[in-house]
Amino acid sequence: MAAVMVEEAAGFSFDLCRRNASLDKLGIKPPNVRKTGTTIVGVVYKDGVVLGADTRATEGDIVCDKNCEKIHYIAPNIWCCGAGTAADTENVTGMISSTLELHRYSTGRRSRVVTALTLLKEHLFKYQGHVSAALVLGGVDNTGPHLHTVYPHGSTDTLPYATMGSGSLAAMAVFEAKYKENLTREEAIDLVASAIKAGIFNDLGSGSNVDVCVITKDGKEMLRNFETPNPRTYNRSKGYVFPRGHTPVLSSSVKKLGDLVTVEDASPAAGELEAMEVDQKP
Amino acid sequence: MDKGPHGHVERPSWSPYDNNGGTAVAVAGEDYCVIAADTRMSTGFSILTRDHTKLFKVSDKCVLASAGFQADAKTLQKTLDARHQQYQHKHNKEISCPAMAQLLSNTLYYKRFFPYYTFNLLGGLDNEGKGCVYTYDAIGSYERTGYSCQGSGQQLVMPVLDNQLKSASPLVLPAVSSATPLSEAEAMDLIKDTFASAGERDIYTGDAVEIIIINRKGIRKEVLPLKKD
Amino acid sequence: MFLTRSEYDRGVNTFSPEGRLFQVEYAIEAIKLGSTAVGVATKEGVILAVEKRITSPLLEPRSIEKVMEIDEHIGCAMSGLTADARTLIDHARAETQSHRFTYNEPMTVESCTQSLCDLALRFGEDGEDSMSRPFGVALLIAGWDESGPCLYHTDPSGTFVKYEAKAIGSGSEGAQSSLQEHYNKDLTLKEGETLALSTLKQVMEEKVTATNVDIAIVAPKFHLLTDEEIQEVIDRL
Repeated sequence: MAAVMVEEAAGFSFDLCRRNASLDKLGIKPPNVRKTGTTIVGVVYKDGVVLGADTRATEGDIVCDKNCEKIHYIAPNIWCCGAGTAADTENVTGMISSTLELHRYSTGRRSRVVTALTLLKEHLFKYQGHVSAALVLGGVDNTGPHLHTVYPHGSTDTLPYATMGSGSLAAMAVFEAKYKENLTREEAIDLVASAIKAGIFNDLGSGSNVDVCVITKDGKEMLRNFETPNPRTYNRSKGYVFPRGHTPVLSSSVKKLGDLVTVEDASPAAGELEAMEVDQKP
Repeated sequence: MDKGPHGHVERPSWSPYDNNGGTAVAVAGEDYCVIAADTRMSTGFSILTRDHTKLFKVSDKCVLASAGFQADAKTLQKTLDARHQQYQHKHNKEISCPAMAQLLSNTLYYKRFFPYYTFNLLGGLDNEGKGCVYTYDAIGSYERTGYSCQGSGQQLVMPVLDNQLKSASPLVLPAVSSATPLSEAEAMDLIKDTFASAGERDIYTGDAVEIIIINRKGIRKEVLPLKKD
Repeated sequence: MFLTRSEYDRGVNTFSPEGRLFQVEYAIEAIKLGSTAVGVATKEGVILAVEKRITSPLLEPRSIEKVMEIDEHIGCAMSGLTADARTLIDHARAETQSHRFTYNEPMTVESCTQSLCDLALRFGEDGEDSMSRPFGVALLIAGWDESGPCLYHTDPSGTFVKYEAKAIGSGSEGAQSSLQEHYNKDLTLKEGETLALSTLKQVMEEKVTATNVDIAIVAPKFHLLTDEEIQEVIDRL
């Protein structure tokens, strides 16, 4: 049978756009993604930056991780809180931290917060908001302490105190009420923790524990589960014990592994590794 | 009029319904009924109040629990209360739980094409003093069971109840009592743990759980605090 | 009664200066022309027995229906204008069914009786389905509900009273005094049947046969006795 030859059209292909539109028309929803419907905050204080985050991850109205980590590593002196789609925040921070790592190898200098900020916003802008990462970026570099927010479309802010995520309004309410300049370390940690707790208790997308990260010019201190204000209130006295035989066995059959596969000696003495030793030769 | 991406005219829409979340559980025993619901009322990602009861005492032997849309639940409660008042005047007696179950079904079906957005459980004692639980959909389909669960935590809680209680189907022949084999104290223990667990994973369940126990001695209430996050 | 007759007996809802509603009183008079019906309540069930006046040898006796079922657990005997009774019974049947639909339970006998009397009193009102005059019929309502067996009597005034034994219709005076004499609370159902029929027999002009009486019992369900079953009762007299 003769094949009909179709000449490839030049330029972009929008086939998938048409496919997606027709799937949408048929009522087919894209797969559910894990969103950190989150409270994340940061504040600049006298000697550095304090970042904070709750630890709840949700998928729709279900909590899928009760103690996840939302303060991501960017560089030893730069950390980043992530809200939005978990996969996006994890990957985007990971990619930028790799880039900065390579950059440090080539330059031999400490990474700057503004570099991370620029890389993040360029990446996010390129994806026009489809990479849903809302970030609070904080760190201390040679030019001093810095705190920024990054929105999913790539816009950024530079702020003395910042909040992001579904609990951002609750947390910002605390900052607006209690923030002042030149906080001490303890005051800054307290302020961040109470802002996160405002999110935990008043925003249903946020919950569980408070994570805090303190960054100074001398290094960082990660205070994982700094507060755990939500212990379980009741446990069944009997527990849930399923005695052996609780699930009835209807039938059973045993097959020996040896009947299904051939087992051979794979030790180097068997002399089959010639090919793999090639790169060991000079 | 602007055409949307699918070629038809699109208008801004408004829904008369809201979902205020919440979970309700009821367990019937041979001579008691326990009916419980959490006290959180929320919308979207916000908590409206941590102290809203979803339980409504229809009579000394009959309690209604409604999850879903609070405004509809309130209207439903007021309607049923008025109907119960009329029933008492007309028939000179308090309504039985099975009779209220049928009345509730009719009341829901009456709004078949503009339903009360409520998910109901009715618990109490029947004419023989046995525990009974009636479970409903929003438009009045109902069934007498030994235990049930409604609301935002339903998908989480129901399999646990099935596993722990598995009372006989009301449809088997010869008829077997639909009541669960648990003692009242065991049922309380299970229900409290169930709500603590639902509160761990369902964002709309939390703050506190109110538990009403109906038995031959009368009716009493317990409250257990839950996580507030 | 005819001595006090005046212009006040025209409007069905006009009181006379003496405080009487003549049309209602006349309706009650109509019952005294009706065939006799007897009701006896025992602890085992309630019995209704009625006389059927076979006015012509060509008449089909089974077409005379003076005891009717309202619901599974409620029966009714009538005396007076039996056509009026149909309207009442249709209403009672609809009410008891509506109660079952709404509450998935049988209606109590008292509630059913109350509902009948509400209708009986609704004469003279405006509206399509309202009667222009009082119903000219009295009913004996036998039933069994959660509080056990019971017997009610209703009349055109919309009054209802609970009885242990009651007779209505043309022979009611004699029958009632006979019931008073022979009734006691410990009657069995069978003894109740015998009492009801023997009372009826005393006031009937014809000889009692299986065709010229109807007997029904509610114990606890309504049952209209067959000719054979009636014959058994006759044989016990």
